[in-house]
Amino acid sequence: MASGPLSLIAEITHRCPLHCVYCSNPLEMQPRLRELPTEAWAKVFASAAELGVLQLHLTGGEPLARTDLSALVTAARKANLYSNLITSGIGLHEERLAALVSAGLDHIQLSFQDAEEQAANEIAGTRTHALKVELARLIKRYRVAFTMNIVVHRRNLERLPEMIAMAEELAADRLEIAHVQYYGWALRNRDALLPSRAQWEQSLEIINAARGRLQGRMRVDFVGPDYYAKYPKACMGGWGRSVILIDPGGRALPCHAAGVIPGLAFDSVQQHDLRWIWEQSPAFRKFRGEEWMPEPCRSCDRRTQDFGGCRCQAMLLAGDAAATDPVCTLSPMHQIVEAITGAVNGSAAETPDWVYRIDPIPAT
Amino acid sequence: MSRFSAASQPRLRAGCRLSQSPQQGDVLLIPEGVLRLAGPGRKIVERCDGSRNVADIIRELQAEFASTDPARIESEVHIFLERLHQKGVVELA
Repeated sequence: MASGPLSLIAEITHRCPLHCVYCSNPLEMQPRLRELPTEAWAKVFASAAELGVLQLHLTGGEPLARTDLSALVTAARKANLYSNLITSGIGLHEERLAALVSAGLDHIQLSFQDAEEQAANEIAGTRTHALKVELARLIKRYRVAFTMNIVVHRRNLERLPEMIAMAEELAADRLEIAHVQYYGWALRNRDALLPSRAQWEQSLEIINAARGRLQGRMRVDFVGPDYYAKYPKACMGGWGRSVILIDPGGRALPCHAAGVIPGLAFDSVQQHDLRWIWEQSPAFRKFRGEEWMPEPCRSCDRRTQDFGGCRCQAMLLAGDAAATDPVCTLSPMHQIVEAITGAVNGSAAETPDWVYRIDPIPAT
Repeated sequence: MSRFSAASQPRLRAGCRLSQSPQQGDVLLIPEGVLRLAGPGRKIVERCDGSRNVADIIRELQAEFASTDPARIESEVHIFLERLHQKGVVELA
């Protein structure tokens, strides 16, 4: 029997005012009319807590697009869940923040796109950077943990030291620097976003130095670009092992991107009990454990650490969700990843333009 | 040497709180993480309230675990608080 999940990722809406070029939402998004109502989410939170979930991540889209967000936080606290709001900040103002904190919100993770205003606005496809800086100062006046999150890539990595300085200046409790992961809209813009190997190595050095310097004051978490890794990431801590994601319409998925895997039916909390979905549903059992593993994973010592890597990445790069993640240097299909990184690091490498999720508001 | 003196008043930082689950027992929930508390961990954490100082915490634990060497309790409280500080979980009030 599967042990219970520890985290619930609640994608409460796909609506979002930003147009980030590396958006991780699926290519097909769900409309507002299909979004689960407040009471349905409250029921999900209670069932999740019974299953063993400790932490709730409220995300989207932009979760603030839901006017019932405070009610959702109240329901989370009632279910004894730790609540984390993952937000761009758009839609937040002092009255709303005060209501969220008094409803029991534990942690706010505010996204930034860059340390430099113009570049940040260009990536988000909206003029929002200055507002985010104001919101960060407002959040610091309330008793809630504050993480500053910045996604890094080829076109903003040169400003990594400035990003760290900005997090210090805004007194973040935690800084999360995450290289783009190539799913959803980000995959479409991969050639514009994938850093060079030299950029990646330099970012790691900068992060390590900052971690040492800031220990005890600001936690610094870092997510690398797995195309340059030797072994794959333990995606979601293993399929159906510790995380369950519910999309805006109530479908339960093992991760954000699992919809790209053909032939998997994702059951909905509107039709099924959450425990049944976690323990019994075919989608969650599909890649749980080691039965599905091909060689070289099946006999690999690392199979209990990285679980064969990411199933969605295997699907997207190798065309087979049951293949070893091609980013693994032991994968028989690793040449696919080498061809992609080779093109970025070649002497003739050019950075193409990116494509916005929709046309951005003109920058003038 | 610990950064915590006998007079320091440690408290949990915002977004760090104690909880319990039937599956995990005593846990400290922190941003993007769960720390499982073993042994007297919970008793130390629940005393990090910003009003007790380190000497109070040590004295209370020594009273509660009267059969344990008091010097050992003192050093373990310091080590534990230092670890929590490194993880960004406690601050000095």
